[in-house]
Amino acid sequence: MHNAYSITAAELAARGLGDIPDELSSAKHMIYSSPATLDYNSPGAKGFGVKRAGLVIPESVMLLVAPGCCGRNTALLNELGYSERFFYLLLDDTDIVTGRYLNKIPQACAEIAEESEKKPSAIVICVTCVDALLGTDMERICRSCEDASGIPSIPAYMYALTREKRLPPMALVRKSVYSLLKPQKRISNECALLGYFSALDDACELYELLHSAGIRKIHEIGRCRSFAEYEQISRANFSIVLNAEARYAAQDMQKTLGIPFVEMTRLFRIEKIRTQYRLLGQAIGAELDDSAYYEKAEKRISDFRQTYGSLRFAVGECLNADSFELALSLIEYGHQVAEIYGTIGERNFVFVKRIAERSPDTRIFSNLEPSMLNYRRGCEIDAVIGNDAMYYHPDLPGIGFQEETQPFGYQGVLMLLDGLDSALSESRRKENA
Amino acid sequence: MKKLLKHMSPLAPDDSGACGVLYEMGGITVICDAGGCAGNVCGFDEPRWHTKKSALFSAGLRDMDAILGRDDLLVHKLSLICGQIDAPFTAIVGTPVPAVIATDFHALERMSERKTGLPCLTLETDGTRRYDYGEALAYDTLFRRFAAEQYPVKPGSLGVIGVTPLNTGFITAEPLLRSLSGKGYSEITCFGMDSGLEAVIRASECESLLVIAPSGLKAAQYLQKNFGTPFSVGYPCLPAETVRAASALRGKRVLIIHQQFAANALREHLTDCEADCAAWFKQEKQYALPGDFRIAEEETLVQAAERYDVIIADAVMRRIVPRFAGEWIDFPHYAVSGCARESGSLS
Repeated sequence: MHNAYSITAAELAARGLGDIPDELSSAKHMIYSSPATLDYNSPGAKGFGVKRAGLVIPESVMLLVAPGCCGRNTALLNELGYSERFFYLLLDDTDIVTGRYLNKIPQACAEIAEESEKKPSAIVICVTCVDALLGTDMERICRSCEDASGIPSIPAYMYALTREKRLPPMALVRKSVYSLLKPQKRISNECALLGYFSALDDACELYELLHSAGIRKIHEIGRCRSFAEYEQISRANFSIVLNAEARYAAQDMQKTLGIPFVEMTRLFRIEKIRTQYRLLGQAIGAELDDSAYYEKAEKRISDFRQTYGSLRFAVGECLNADSFELALSLIEYGHQVAEIYGTIGERNFVFVKRIAERSPDTRIFSNLEPSMLNYRRGCEIDAVIGNDAMYYHPDLPGIGFQEETQPFGYQGVLMLLDGLDSALSESRRKENA
Repeated sequence: MKKLLKHMSPLAPDDSGACGVLYEMGGITVICDAGGCAGNVCGFDEPRWHTKKSALFSAGLRDMDAILGRDDLLVHKLSLICGQIDAPFTAIVGTPVPAVIATDFHALERMSERKTGLPCLTLETDGTRRYDYGEALAYDTLFRRFAAEQYPVKPGSLGVIGVTPLNTGFITAEPLLRSLSGKGYSEITCFGMDSGLEAVIRASECESLLVIAPSGLKAAQYLQKNFGTPFSVGYPCLPAETVRAASALRGKRVLIIHQQFAANALREHLTDCEADCAAWFKQEKQYALPGDFRIAEEETLVQAAERYDVIIADAVMRRIVPRFAGEWIDFPHYAVSGCARESGSLS
């Protein structure tokens, strides 16, 4: 068995984006469904995969139309209280070859509507690789379902086959979950945050900054408790896209609801966060004074560095951050990053180049590469970030940093350092005991 | 409506069953999918994934691979892994994707063997059938391929077929070995649980076989036919709590739901009751009693429940019959609820 493949940041940056080694390209090798990264290969199983994301519409139910194997792990979502919201139309071998099941979907929706104690707000019809290959016209199927059940029906495409396409399943499902919004009079002091299925941390400064700019109501789908609340989202005067996977949904909302949008990114380098807020202010015509938040984050970074010195980190990708941007942030805070377990793409290669300048020996691994089956720690690491990194190094202090509450802006930096502080101090306490 | 599940999640599928049998065999197993099926297997149906390493991978198919039928790319990727991991064989497990595009598994087998120089097992599952089908296919293919030589029989040795987490809820053979200890066996091998390919190759050494689930029957028949190894069926690892509660019943009409051999074994513990066994999975006629039946859909259970005072079944099924007023005794089945059992809960 070979050792786990890795490459230094310097070597990778020197090769350039056009010459990424096959080992770091998931299309060039078999995929290792590492226990560290099951939420990649099993999007329905953890966090917000297509299935759970589709149900973010309040009071909706989902009909999964698929062979049994596609819905098997949905039982995991029962523990989160979704058991009453899932229905399954199982396909047999003749179905998947002939597509004869398509005629049964409206009947299934009618039966769901009939048997539900409370009429669902929507039926989300989730289809899988079978329909990707059969080329099913889901818009048409949904119209038939709506006619048969009297309930709005929308598609959710759980097409693992198209994961690396321009519009991957998680981008399409974001469009679907906003597609039930109807045009209405927009209100000038309301806006919507798009991108995550759960809400930002309550203490995130973005809320206060928007309020200071005169925004009175900030809509987030993750905070909607009823369908009526959800319907209010289309009153927003503008949207802020916090995750690039919501761009397609925002474009669609701009087209159908007339709601323009601006984009921001989750970053952990406070200079860049400051720049983003300045640009946001310019876009919405307000001056956003973030100096107090900036200073608080700056002080927290400095205090943390003073308490623990220069730490050596391992950074994974199962976390609420871009692994490479987070690693670069830690390096800029004065720490070291020994290893990164992540997926390289056009979007984050720029961070690799910056890491290569500041920390050329940082080693980069791909969680999905088969040789990761044999991963062993080969260097000194003090702390880890990300659920995958915690799997690889169960003996080290660390944080998963993948909670439902979303970190963003300066508050994201504080959440990161507070979490690390707790983990490290607990570890030191145990050592001393 | 047929095939509409309104209360339960789908049961363990055939590809999970096949992977469960191969899990500890030391080969390189590739699930021919885009990623989701492998995630379901590794993240749900295979509890050993977190405790025992296995070279189990997803083919990582993309839409154009499927549309263009790029089998050569699949074989190329397989050969790359063979250069990284020492393994005695490879296996390719089917999913809905190859079923839709009608992948020629025999061709895939020949191409893979030519490219890697290793035996290749192809298991034509498609994710639409239940786990017992995949297990039966994998056991049969595995024994036919590797248990070819007659070894001298070891007196007192027992081979157990069907020991998988999906059948038993166990992730090691230890509970089963414990339950069979003191029964006069000099050596016990649970094929595929704490034992690898070598045990399969030397299967003819066993003096007798015990089959604990219908999925192991075909492989046992093959071993009996080729090596004269006699087999019996049974399930010596019933949960203690279930047995205790079932043994206390008197004068009741009882329905037991599990895989057939486990249900039959529990029926033996009932006294003065009318008991029928039912299964969501295959039932072998020769081991069924009149009144036993197969559950095809949720409605079958709704209607059947009216005829019984007691149901002994995985608790997750209770949601199907909310109006059932009788007694419910939990009889966990991993292939139904995905709940593993504590190793100490044997009867």
